[in-house]
Amino acid sequence: MKASTARAGIDKRFSGNWENPILRWNGWRVLPIYIFLAVFVIVPIIKIALDAFTDTQGILTFKYVKSFFTDPFYLRALRNSMLLGLAVVVTTSILGFCSAYFLLRYEFAGKKLFSYLTIFPIIMPPLVGVMGFIFILGRAGTVNTILMDYFGFLRPLNFVYGWHGVLLVETLHLFPLITMNLLDSMGKIDASLEEAAESVGSVGLRKIKDITFPLSTPGYVTGALLVFMWAFADFATPLVVGVQDLLAAQAYLNIVQFVDRRLFQMGIVIGVFMISLSIIFLIIARRYLALKDYATLSYSPVEKKTLKGWGGFLVPFFFTVLLIMAFIPYLGVTLAAFGKAWAMTPFPVQYTLGYFTRIITETPKYIINTFMYCGLAVIICITVGVPIAWILTRTKMKSRGLLDALVTLILALPGTALGIAYIRAFNMPIFGISLTTLWIIMPLVLAVRRLPYTVRSTHSSLLVVHESLEEAARSVGASGWRVFYNITLPLIWKGILTGALFSFMTSIQESAATILLAIPGWETMTVGIFTFYTSGSMNESAALGFILIVVGGLSLYVINKLSGKKMGGFFG
Amino acid sequence: MRIALHNVVKRFKGFTALKGINLEIKDGELFTLLGPSGCGKTTTLRLIAGFYQTDGGDILFDDKIINHLPTAQRNIGIVFQNYALWPHMTVYENIAYGLKLKKMPGTEIKRKVDTSLDKVGLSGLQHRYPGQLSGGQQQRVALARALVLNPDVLLLDEPLSNLDAKVRMKVRAEIRQLQQELKITTVYVTHDQEEALTLSDRIAVMREGRIIQLGDPKSLYERPNNTFTANFIGTNNLLEAHVLKGNGDGKYTVQTAIGSFMGIANQPLSPGQKCTIAVRPENVQINSERQEANSFTGKIHFASYLGNILRYDIMTSAGILFKADIKYPWGCEVMAVGTEVKISFAEFVCLLINDRCTEEHNLTAVGGES
Ligand SMILES: Nc1ncnc2c1ncn2[C@@H]1O[C@H](COP(=O)(O)OP(=O)(O)O)[C@@H](O)[C@H]1O
Ligand SMILES: [Mg+2]
Repeated sequence: MKASTARAGIDKRFSGNWENPILRWNGWRVLPIYIFLAVFVIVPIIKIALDAFTDTQGILTFKYVKSFFTDPFYLRALRNSMLLGLAVVVTTSILGFCSAYFLLRYEFAGKKLFSYLTIFPIIMPPLVGVMGFIFILGRAGTVNTILMDYFGFLRPLNFVYGWHGVLLVETLHLFPLITMNLLDSMGKIDASLEEAAESVGSVGLRKIKDITFPLSTPGYVTGALLVFMWAFADFATPLVVGVQDLLAAQAYLNIVQFVDRRLFQMGIVIGVFMISLSIIFLIIARRYLALKDYATLSYSPVEKKTLKGWGGFLVPFFFTVLLIMAFIPYLGVTLAAFGKAWAMTPFPVQYTLGYFTRIITETPKYIINTFMYCGLAVIICITVGVPIAWILTRTKMKSRGLLDALVTLILALPGTALGIAYIRAFNMPIFGISLTTLWIIMPLVLAVRRLPYTVRSTHSSLLVVHESLEEAARSVGASGWRVFYNITLPLIWKGILTGALFSFMTSIQESAATILLAIPGWETMTVGIFTFYTSGSMNESAALGFILIVVGGLSLYVINKLSGKKMGGFFG
Repeated sequence: MRIALHNVVKRFKGFTALKGINLEIKDGELFTLLGPSGCGKTTTLRLIAGFYQTDGGDILFDDKIINHLPTAQRNIGIVFQNYALWPHMTVYENIAYGLKLKKMPGTEIKRKVDTSLDKVGLSGLQHRYPGQLSGGQQQRVALARALVLNPDVLLLDEPLSNLDAKVRMKVRAEIRQLQQELKITTVYVTHDQEEALTLSDRIAVMREGRIIQLGDPKSLYERPNNTFTANFIGTNNLLEAHVLKGNGDGKYTVQTAIGSFMGIANQPLSPGQKCTIAVRPENVQINSERQEANSFTGKIHFASYLGNILRYDIMTSAGILFKADIKYPWGCEVMAVGTEVKISFAEFVCLLINDRCTEEHNLTAVGGES
């Protein structure tokens, strides 16, 4: 209902669009957009689905699916992945709910800084996260060295290797997804709803349980589904901490090997499974949100209480501990990027720029590729995304619902699944060459993955520019495109830029799809981190990671300055 | 339950929203806070509800200071301007929620909810969600939710402002009836003077964080003691004047730009003192045979036919407009613009108001108790 009432509202406001000369876009003008989405989203999904259900002769068969669902090994991996996903949802929910609630309802020391830093982990590359944890919490990491040297521990404690490690890393990486979505929906609860609860005697945790939390569920459900999907589809983290018994890890291992045909098929089946899961989740989320349209007429935010006494101490303490934990990896990566001869000591004893020199002079391709691919990806995002946002807000095309659903689907599609789908869909030669042998596939897959951010940001700034402004310009004689350049564009460029930057920031961190698709010569920084790390060159790996952290942090800063609001909308 | 506010002060970030409020609300009374938007009505109500803490002064329920008592323990029922029904609960759940918290047995809860739904005329709608109800129905659910716990005090913040005119009249009557039935102490906030006059036992007129007059509807309408109240409640012809002489018994002769008038004052005035005369249009006669204390002439400037009355704006000699009403315009010829008319009104409907006296009176009242 949320989507449909919103749409009805838009329809009413923007009715009469067809009289509007620049909006009299016939289907063919936006045809390239639809072709782009069809070729790069729908075709790969259909192709991989066909692959899973047809044999080498192209005849319909369920044998691969059957063999997947009867193989105890895969069933165990499936169960493990589900359990891991659920566990991460539980842990991130606790952290996410506490942090969102504290940020929204209380004033306390350092709040501004905390609210900025809380978002940080999610925009960091997951790979960098795992690596950093190992530097600090690994067997020979800072903490264990200190424990053994100063506290007489005989053997290192295992903080990260194994299931608990995956859970720890994923939790600290993903909790901001819940925080942001909750900030968005909990922040919209009208103060009077909670006051009404107090007036009938509902206070404290009881009020949170009965009123605050149920009213925040729209955002929470979205956040939780994203977290689940993310944890479910991540293969890099488990592999680095030595866990292989998961679907995503198996999918990766199966796809990158070229020996066993059956294993490869299993990789495809897993890819299809992930895609189906995200589509199902998407439908559930839409259905659920449709029932929970809690928008109120008037709105005043709940007043923030200034924390005194124990609370004034405990809440900043919570954030400090949480953020120290969440920032451990970045500290670890930084130390490893600059630290020389870091072995058997808690911290490096010498510092050097050598690793940076090496990655810049010896393997410049990582950095060059990353910036080239991501730059191109952003250009594609703007070229495709701005028209999509325009269609969604300013036209009454029938296909808008489909367009909207596709953009949301992309947001939920795991990179692992999309990577596998691309490998299958684009290795057929067209005019003698297949797309998987052309480097352009890298910026293309990145652009598709990050398209929703550009669309959403542009969409929300277009919604704010009321159409009457454009009509007013037309009434004084401005024509078609002139209206767009003189009136609309000046009002929405910030939104476009914010979205584009967000797309950029998240594409430099893409690891799943790019690792799967990259062939020698195309490697990006995240691929470099993975290769360096798995081949034992920790420091070079860390140096690349450090660059990603800096670029991510800078982008986040600029985005904050540009948009000046919370970023819940990007992931919702 | 009696409510008292003693010198209550409330500040928001350096802005003083309430500058010393003094009130005594009687048990079972429907007490209205009336004033323009932003004068501090909601703030006062929220202080009584316990959503805000006072920055000075005391709030008393039955002589007990409750400044720091949390809302949940004040035993109040409140209806918000936007109703604040919990959108994720049905009508039934909304009303039953407070009872459930009291650990009341299920059958008892059901009985109470059914009775209260019946009372507000909403039986049969208990399984709807608030989003599926009309404004008037939501309003009644909010009222039922507030009353089901048998609160000592009922607080209503502009409960009718989101309803359309016809429904408003109906619900207004229902609220009054319900309140009298239950004899519950009620504080009612509104900016609508007509609503205040019809509903209230007593009204406090507020302006810029102060109460400037307090009384029952009749005395506020007939004897406003300041120009703000005179202007805010109903319509008044206000005219600058200065006192010529006293005639005893609170009667005075004053001089205005359009002649001298005889009127009555609430407070003693002395010759030479400035004041304002206030005359309601319905007390002004046009071309009357009767000899009245005050009369002068003017020309019809504008006529507005409102159905139940015919109002003339009359231009007087000094270029001042004076309003006069014809009360039964049925079949009455509307006079053409420019027609010369005689205007007259009695001495006892001509009020002499001295704002400075009122302010000093209020200030001493505030100062005296602190
Ligand atoms: N929470 C608040 N923070 C700051 N100012 C407020 C707050 N609540 C009310 N005010 C200010 O106090 C004044 C009185 O507000 P209010 O009591 O809501 O007025 P009313 O209900 O009479 O319209 C207004 O000027 C308003 O802007
Ligand atoms: Mg108000």
